[in-house]
Amino acid sequence: MSARPNARSGVLSGIRVLDFTWKTVGPWAPRLLTHYGAEVIHVERADGWDSHRYNATPSIVSDDPQPVDLPGTKKAHADPQFNTLREESPTGQATGQQELYSAPYFNTLHHGKLAISLNTKSPEGLKIVERLIGVCDAVVENFSAEVLPSWGLTWERMHTLNPRLVYMSTSGFGHTGDWKGYRSFGPTAAAQSGISLASGLPGKPPAGWGFSYLDVMGGWMGGLALVQGLLQAKKTGEGAYIDYSVTEGAMSMLGTYLLDYQVNGRRTRRPDFPPGNRSVFPALAPHNTYRCAGQDRVGQDWWIFIACETQAQFEALCGVMEQPALALDPKFATNETRVANQDALDTIIGRWTRPRRRYDIMRQCQAAGIIAAPVQSAEDRVEYDPQLQHRQMHPIIHHPELGDVPYEGYPVKMSRTPAFVHGRAPTFAEHNHYVYGELLGMSDEEIHSLRESGVI
Amino acid sequence: MVGVYDGLTVIELADRRNQWAGKLLCDGGARVIQIEPVEGSPGRWCGPFVDDEPDPDRCIDYWSYNTGKESLALDISRPAAGTLVKKLLARADIFLDSASPGTLAELGLDYASMASNQGLIHASLTDFGQDGPWCDYVMNDAAHLALGGQMASSGYSDPKAPPIGGQGHHAWHMGCAFVLHGITVALFERASSGAGQYIDVSIHDACAMGTEAAVPQWMYYGSTMYRHTGMHANPRRLPPLQLPTADGNYMIAVMQNFGPRVWKNLIEWMDEKGVTGELHDPKYQDEAYRMSEYRTGNVVRDAIARLIAASDGEECFHRAQSHGISWGLVNAAEENYDVPHYQQRDYWRSIEHPEIGRSIPYPRGPFACDALGIEPRRRAPALGENTKAILAHDLGMSADAISALRAAGAVR
Repeated sequence: MSARPNARSGVLSGIRVLDFTWKTVGPWAPRLLTHYGAEVIHVERADGWDSHRYNATPSIVSDDPQPVDLPGTKKAHADPQFNTLREESPTGQATGQQELYSAPYFNTLHHGKLAISLNTKSPEGLKIVERLIGVCDAVVENFSAEVLPSWGLTWERMHTLNPRLVYMSTSGFGHTGDWKGYRSFGPTAAAQSGISLASGLPGKPPAGWGFSYLDVMGGWMGGLALVQGLLQAKKTGEGAYIDYSVTEGAMSMLGTYLLDYQVNGRRTRRPDFPPGNRSVFPALAPHNTYRCAGQDRVGQDWWIFIACETQAQFEALCGVMEQPALALDPKFATNETRVANQDALDTIIGRWTRPRRRYDIMRQCQAAGIIAAPVQSAEDRVEYDPQLQHRQMHPIIHHPELGDVPYEGYPVKMSRTPAFVHGRAPTFAEHNHYVYGELLGMSDEEIHSLRESGVI
Repeated sequence: MVGVYDGLTVIELADRRNQWAGKLLCDGGARVIQIEPVEGSPGRWCGPFVDDEPDPDRCIDYWSYNTGKESLALDISRPAAGTLVKKLLARADIFLDSASPGTLAELGLDYASMASNQGLIHASLTDFGQDGPWCDYVMNDAAHLALGGQMASSGYSDPKAPPIGGQGHHAWHMGCAFVLHGITVALFERASSGAGQYIDVSIHDACAMGTEAAVPQWMYYGSTMYRHTGMHANPRRLPPLQLPTADGNYMIAVMQNFGPRVWKNLIEWMDEKGVTGELHDPKYQDEAYRMSEYRTGNVVRDAIARLIAASDGEECFHRAQSHGISWGLVNAAEENYDVPHYQQRDYWRSIEHPEIGRSIPYPRGPFACDALGIEPRRRAPALGENTKAILAHDLGMSADAISALRAAGAVR
């Protein structure tokens, strides 16, 4: 089986992207283009498959296919058959199918894409890559710097094959300079850039980010560069090479710290920084997370973030807490004195929140105009958050084989040309016939022969 | 240099939430007119300031997020000033705002009121979007990291420690990334149709999908994540990956490759430091064995921790990387100025600052790409620096008319 994909509508309808990405930061970028109707062809090795297809846990330390066995309410979707390849296995045999499935994160990062298999280590495979480059508008990859040149695919070669082509390499440190050969995952780039150090409690080890922020945000910025490249190519008729270093992208978000160092000599590596959840510029108090009643499913306490940016908000908070005298106490009467006494203030607020339910606190504070937001888990956002429900940020998409499956939605609401969520990542090599047959015009015999020789 | 947004005119209503989007449009070649209140954008008052002395023209955070923009300072609530904004919008390509839902309609500046400019792309970046039960709630960046899920995954392994949100306006960055997606895609479409549109982006929506595997993990398995110090949250308790070095730094010891070359080099390095322990046991010559032990046991992990504890941070980073191991050193942002690699990649852009009598090296921008041409070209404007020029040249006002507006306090 090799389904012909549904014709795409959307702003980027007719745009075709050749997607050599794997892991996380790479796949995000072209996925964002699927929401606008681009045809994204994800290429996987003919003798293997994207490791995220395996990855039943989102751990960066384990690629083993270990179905997670934890108490939970949603086992239905953990069926290993989910997105199983039905008629075409990597070896062309019907065995072993039970093991090949699309794990949650694969289905998230690749939904709406097409999938082909291709052995890029064979000369025939590389010829096919060159033909595909001729029929695509963009190529994107996040291999190490030496990989595409080792295939003979330098930027110059690709530009010769297709002068309108937009080529984006995504890497930890970029494709030039001393570190071009260095390897990086999201946490590597976060550490090197300075983003990790800017998160944590003073005097404690860095807290960093509890997920690969730079795989997510890095992928979104990569997607932005891709649409910018396509816009430029549309205007000028000329393609572009985008050498995207995720670390440099992160550093571009740290401009304030960089300039503060240049101007004032202040470093982010200093004893009172990072300040936990407090605010340094501007200095504000209260501005922190406070423990509430209850715990999540693994016994971590529930917390709420509360901040007052104005005197009126602080006076309102004293009212909500039924402690109006607090606003008159010289220790807390002005923002300046509150900042000086914020340990004491945080204790008082924490004592008030501790026995209360977090969403009750949020409603009460927000009704009085005070910034208050519970620390929401994924469960909270998917199952409860009424705002995300209203904005349809977790659409449930029906599929004849998979049933009703929820997805992460798309946060850009456009009035005239809406973005949309397709649902379901492709099975392994699902679109070989469409891509090799229809796009490249190969006959069934040719395709069969390529499969026999292990090229696809 | 011709940027991807060259030739476009952007009207930006000053706000801390959207200013990075405006900056990247400006760095990409657009002319960005930031409309500020006469007392200055809130972005001018947050600090840090030069020498820590509050001054709206010397706010470093504002400098960072507003390179190249023009400043038009006016009191938008006054009808005379509001009319000027309408005239500018009538010929603009892009309108960028972060006003609370409903505010612009009251001022007659909403998308419907701009119908005569058919090509206008109006992008609103707000806390919750234009509608929904929470759309009038008040938020700031850290509140978004709480509500959006970033904090739930980030912090410390100690179950008593609070969840932590990273410093540096990242909720706003995430919102800006998507508002730029919308604008750029709308420009792509407008190049064919000539028509603009309205784009509604919610920072909360953006953050809510920005926690990597946490949402799919819940959707598919119903799992809740444990927070871990300096590393990924996970449905299981995992041993530490952020390990202290001999010189008081931390390595992020992400380890996925246990192939023969990596292993040989790692063992040699451990031997040098005398920390190899039992890893010379022949069973560790089997790649599958050592990988499995790493994932389930402590022997390989403890040896790695000893190796890092016996090495300095820089040594760890470069030696690991030279062996193909993707470890990273937890650096401070400012330490990147000393790294030759970024200098070799021409990463820093010198921007003149007459206010302090010298130039400052700014980060180039996210991408190395001459064809996109996205990089800071000029310092941020002083408050109202361009008011007179815009009123005179763009709106054709006489010097007397401008003086009258200024005397009335409608512009600065």
